[in-house]
Parts: sequence; C-alpha cells; structure tokens
Amino acid sequence: MENKRKWRWGKHRWILLLLIILSVIGVNLIAPVQPHIQVAAENLSEKPLFTLPVVGDFYLTNTLTAMLLMDIVIILVALGVRRAAKKNELAPGGVGSVFEMLVEMLYNLTENTAGKYAAKIFPWFATILIVVLFANLLKILPGFETIGFLHPSEHGYATQALGGGWFTLKNTPASDGYVLAPFLRGVSTDLNFTTALALIAVFMIQVIGVQANGARYFEKFINVRTIFKKPLFGVIDFIVGLLELISEFAKILSFTFRLFGNMFAGMVLLAVVGVMLPVFMPSFIMLFELFVGVIQAFVFGMLTMVFMAQATITHNAEAEH
Amino acid sequence: MNGDIVAAAKMIGAGIAMIGALGGGIGVGLSVQGAVQGMARNPDTYGNLLSSMILGIAFSEAIAIYCLVIAFLMLFVV
Repeated sequence: MENKRKWRWGKHRWILLLLIILSVIGVNLIAPVQPHIQVAAENLSEKPLFTLPVVGDFYLTNTLTAMLLMDIVIILVALGVRRAAKKNELAPGGVGSVFEMLVEMLYNLTENTAGKYAAKIFPWFATILIVVLFANLLKILPGFETIGFLHPSEHGYATQALGGGWFTLKNTPASDGYVLAPFLRGVSTDLNFTTALALIAVFMIQVIGVQANGARYFEKFINVRTIFKKPLFGVIDFIVGLLELISEFAKILSFTFRLFGNMFAGMVLLAVVGVMLPVFMPSFIMLFELFVGVIQAFVFGMLTMVFMAQATITHNAEAEH
Repeated sequence: MNGDIVAAAKMIGAGIAMIGALGGGIGVGLSVQGAVQGMARNPDTYGNLLSSMILGIAFSEAIAIYCLVIAFLMLFVV
C-alpha cells in the first residue's frame, strides 16, 4: 500500500450538517403545510386541450408533464447507451456499462424462466421494467410535487409572498385560501398510467400465448375437450377453464392497483410525515420510497415475464394421460 | 351535523378497511420465513429463492394494497 490514504476531514459531513441546520431554521420560518391530496391528477390547464366526441375532455394534467419528462430522460439515456456501445462494442463505459449489466441480468432471468421463448418475451419485460423504474425514480428531482400553481379552494391555506411572483403557503387555514397543484407529480400515482401498462401487459400475454400454442391456447379458457369423454371430470375441467378466464381479468386489476397503491401510499406517507416530523424523517421515508419504487418496477416486469412464460406452456401433454 | 357524521364514518370505514392488511402481513412473513430457511440450509440457492420470494411477497402484498386503495378512496374520493 504505497499510496496510503491521507486522513482528512471530509467536507460532505459539513454540507450534511449545514443542510440539517438550514432545515431546522426553515421549518421554523415557514411551517410545512399538509398538502391537498386527491387521487385524480390535478389539472394544470384551465381549459381542456382538446375534446373527443365520446370520451370527453382532455386536460393537461401534472402526471402528463411528469411523463413527458420521463420520456425525455429515457430517450436521453438510450442515446447515451447507444453512443457508449458504438464507441466501444466490447466494453461500453459510463452509463452503457450500467445498462449492459442490467440487460444481461434481466435476460438471464428471462432465459431461466421462459427457455426458448426468452427472445420473444424479453423486450416486453425489459421495456416495462425500465419505464416503471424511471417513472418511480424520477421523484428524486427537487421540486417534484412541491412547486406548482396555486388554485383557490375552500379548504386552502393563506399565502405569503416570496417576491418575483412566487408565493408560499402558510400553515394557517383560510376559507379564501389556496391549495397547490404541482407541476410534476409521480407518474405511477395516476391510475391511467398503471391501467394502460396493465392492459398492455395482459393483452401481450394472450398474444404470446397464441403465438406459442396457436388457437389451442384458448382451450385453456373454454375447455370442452374432455366433457364428452369423461362427463364428471369434464365438467370440472370446464369450470376450471372459466376460472382461468376470470383470473386473466383479475390480473389487470392486480397489476393496476399494486403499482398505483404502492406509489400513492408513498406519496401520502411522505406528505403526512413531512408535516408531522419535518426535519429528519422525510429523508428516510424518501429513501424507503425509492427502494419501494425499484421493487415495484421489478415486480411489475417480473410478473409480466412469468405470466408470459406460463402462457407459452402447452397443456396438451399433461391432459393426455 | 350531517356532514360531520359522514366525515366520521369515512375515517372509521378507512380504518376498518385496513384490517385486511393483517392477512397480507401474515402472508409476507410466511413467505420470507420459508425463503430464508431455504437460504440458510442451502446458500447456493440464494438467487433463485430471492426472486421467487419477491414474487410471492408481491402477490400477498397486493391484498394489503387493495385494502389501502379502498381506504384512500374512502378518505380522499368519496
């Protein structure tokens, strides 16, 4: 050990201490306000962007802006990975190496589970996982869910001018006060996003099942093959097939509400803890929420992959004996 | 007066809805117990067991999450 590490006082600990002291002072200057929590995404535009005849009005919601931001981030990362892969094909550096590791891990996982259909299943698995991962990790950006327009509301709070047209909410309820509609809000806390992902995943599970088994895939759901040969067990098989059909629809629900519930619960927890214990606790909760976000992204992709692998399995072989 | 009763009922309903999280908690505990025992007896299976364990946790956690969603719907939507 020639280049022995010299002992020096690190400067990061002082930055951390300074931030803690600043947060104590800041909390005493402007008390944190319990945000207005609603399940639907807040509208940023007063008038609808456009109106479709049957579906209704479309507003610019704050989850939509967050999703556009997420798309931009994913595209930039993809371009970075592409450049790194072009520069050095064998060992891409920087962000390329991280994604090489991730993709390799995911592909090995798919190959272990799905076998020869891995190449067909893998793109869906990896795409869903990366989209949900970026959607959940985007909330480490400062100002996420905290900076936005102020809307007048009956249950609002009084405001205080900060200068330059910016205002902050004070912790004094006022009947003519305002509530915050943030510019950016976590994408997964919008039911539309999770429902869309769940519909895509479940639809593609059926498509991959049909590609693997042909039209016999649907025999899993409406099973009339054994009903004439063995009347009693045939009827049981038929009912089991109907239950399989119901469980396909249950998959949509469980995909949707698992992701939405986890991320929305995280948002509410962060808001409530931020009011009750505003100095230390939010950092820990935030860390935990990031962990939950990564786990949920993994679970969403993993479940899609496992269901797709299950759909490729033919049931004919075990039904014959 | 009427609105107060409705507000109180919302809170109580949300609390009752979260009883269902009990089952989810038991389920998560059982699956982690099984996986960790397996890992302790055969450390080579760590990777396989970990992914299966997370998958099982996700399934049983989903039940608790449904309860949470119902509670949120009672508190913030209805």
